Amino acid sequence: MEVSTLPISASHRGKLISSGYTSLSSLSSVSPSRLAQDLKISENEAVEILKVVSRRSGSEKIENGNHAIMNGAQTAWDMLHEEESSVCITTSCSDLDVILGGGIHCKEVTEIGGVPGIGKTQLGIQLAVNVQIPSGYGGLGGKAIYIDTEGSFMVERALQIAEACAQDMLEYDNLLRKDSQACRVIKQPKAFLENIFYFRVCTYTEQIAVINYLEKFISEQKDVKVVIVDSITFHFRQDFEDMALRTRLLGGMALKLMKLAKQFKLAVVLLNQVTTKYKEGSFQLTLALGDSWSHASTNRIILHWNGDERYAYLDKSPSLQSASAPYAVTGKGIRNAAPNCKRVKLM
Amino acid sequence: MIESQCRPQFNGLELLEDAQLNKRILSTGCERIDLLLQGGLRVGHVTELAGPSSSGKTQVCLKVASHVARKYSGTVMYFDSGNSFSPKRIVQFLTQESDPANTEVDEIVQRVMSSIVCYSIFDIFTLLDMLHQLMNNLKSEIGCNVRMLIIDSLSSLIAPVLGGGGAHGHALMVTAGFLLKELAHEHNLSIVVTNHMVAGEAGSSKPALGDSWKSIPHVRLLLHRYRATNDSCISILKHPYLATGKTMEFMIT
Repeated sequence: MEVSTLPISASHRGKLISSGYTSLSSLSSVSPSRLAQDLKISENEAVEILKVVSRRSGSEKIENGNHAIMNGAQTAWDMLHEEESSVCITTSCSDLDVILGGGIHCKEVTEIGGVPGIGKTQLGIQLAVNVQIPSGYGGLGGKAIYIDTEGSFMVERALQIAEACAQDMLEYDNLLRKDSQACRVIKQPKAFLENIFYFRVCTYTEQIAVINYLEKFISEQKDVKVVIVDSITFHFRQDFEDMALRTRLLGGMALKLMKLAKQFKLAVVLLNQVTTKYKEGSFQLTLALGDSWSHASTNRIILHWNGDERYAYLDKSPSLQSASAPYAVTGKGIRNAAPNCKRVKLM
Repeated sequence: MIESQCRPQFNGLELLEDAQLNKRILSTGCERIDLLLQGGLRVGHVTELAGPSSSGKTQVCLKVASHVARKYSGTVMYFDSGNSFSPKRIVQFLTQESDPANTEVDEIVQRVMSSIVCYSIFDIFTLLDMLHQLMNNLKSEIGCNVRMLIIDSLSSLIAPVLGGGGAHGHALMVTAGFLLKELAHEHNLSIVVTNHMVAGEAGSSKPALGDSWKSIPHVRLLLHRYRATNDSCISILKHPYLATGKTMEFMIT
């Protein structure tokens, strides 16, 4: 049944098959009004179905040269040049930036996971601020979308981090660009907050709805360069009876996020929690949501404690080697690890 | 009328001739994998690479893409569903393989990179569309000589529709599988798809996509990476003429 492989709704598919339209050739010569009559649907819907059929039958000729064999394809050579000119989002910790190859990359989905208290939300807020660094200072000059599922986003902390970022930019100006009077963009900390779009979701259906809505939102805003979801796992962990449904929903969500990242050339950062898993004879900490979710991201960073210091480990990347780097969470945000930034011992 | 729909018959001798002329073996670029597979990936076969996360599936795919594009003329199509196609990594592989004294490295890199075409696919219907379009192009021989098709990863495209009581997802998976086999055999392509792992019984893992998928690929390989040493191990799960269970250690630098 060729008709069952078309991307149309289940009810339309059912109507097509029960009216006898089972192959593409039977649909190629029917008019929209006839189809609407046979299926008892509106003429607009019939036109949509026929458009899908003609796309499948390949009746659209390929105009480009024989490089792009199919519409939308790119050669690796073109992609290399695009990649060379793309800018990463810095994490404000130079050690971490080094192991990430410059920072968080655009057009990729990065998953960051760790135990509670390690600094995932702090890193999320830092990235939401750093994406707004103007291009004169080596940043992207874009806006951020922050989807909060746990309620852990604190506006006062974001303001604090924004003030520290503005302070750093001012110092950079004073140190290195004493002579340039032009392009001195002094960014107020409050302006940073204006460019963070905040969504609060309370159930998994709201989460899926927001992600579906993002495409429209981002095409209207036009400047969004990072989407941070904190955390992606929260609503899928408690009380989910149907595990197969969970796998399907997560798979669909992962593909939508990948598509967003590629289509709008932005970075998607997913914060994840950890769970224990019985592997090779002992309980080990792994990221939540199981094996099928671990394939949903392009890069994966695991944050963990090493003694009393915080470390970030690059677990998965298509082009970088696995490496570890220390970092610290200070009053100004995420910074390089210093000897006095250790874990507080509770007596 | 039925006779005109029926596919042409071949006798054994004609099949052997076709195999010798058209169905070559493509080297993967990694000696030890070639050793395991007695030459490499065969044209006309659909090869599945299964493995847990970070076991090296994408790395093997990138290595194979760069090697095949370099050594054999023709295009390599790469369907990427996870934004993991890394042009930088392909350049690394190409410069590793070249002789350092060779001054034409840049030209080689440009030529090879221009014959690897990458397409981002984010749902199963687009995949079916692209496969049909590829089939139409190959049938009418519009200026392309496709040597290999890599889909990374097929399981993330199928997982959102598989299961859930209806057989629709299942039908889509099997349709895609048969389309791949037809493409491979009729148009002399070698096809590589990647699959992830799910939990099996008693705490072990098994490749995803279920039992009906098992019979679709001609060759099924399992990858595993040892965290401590960064070595990888590849083993044969299914092969038309090699023994299953054979393993080989290898390393992708």
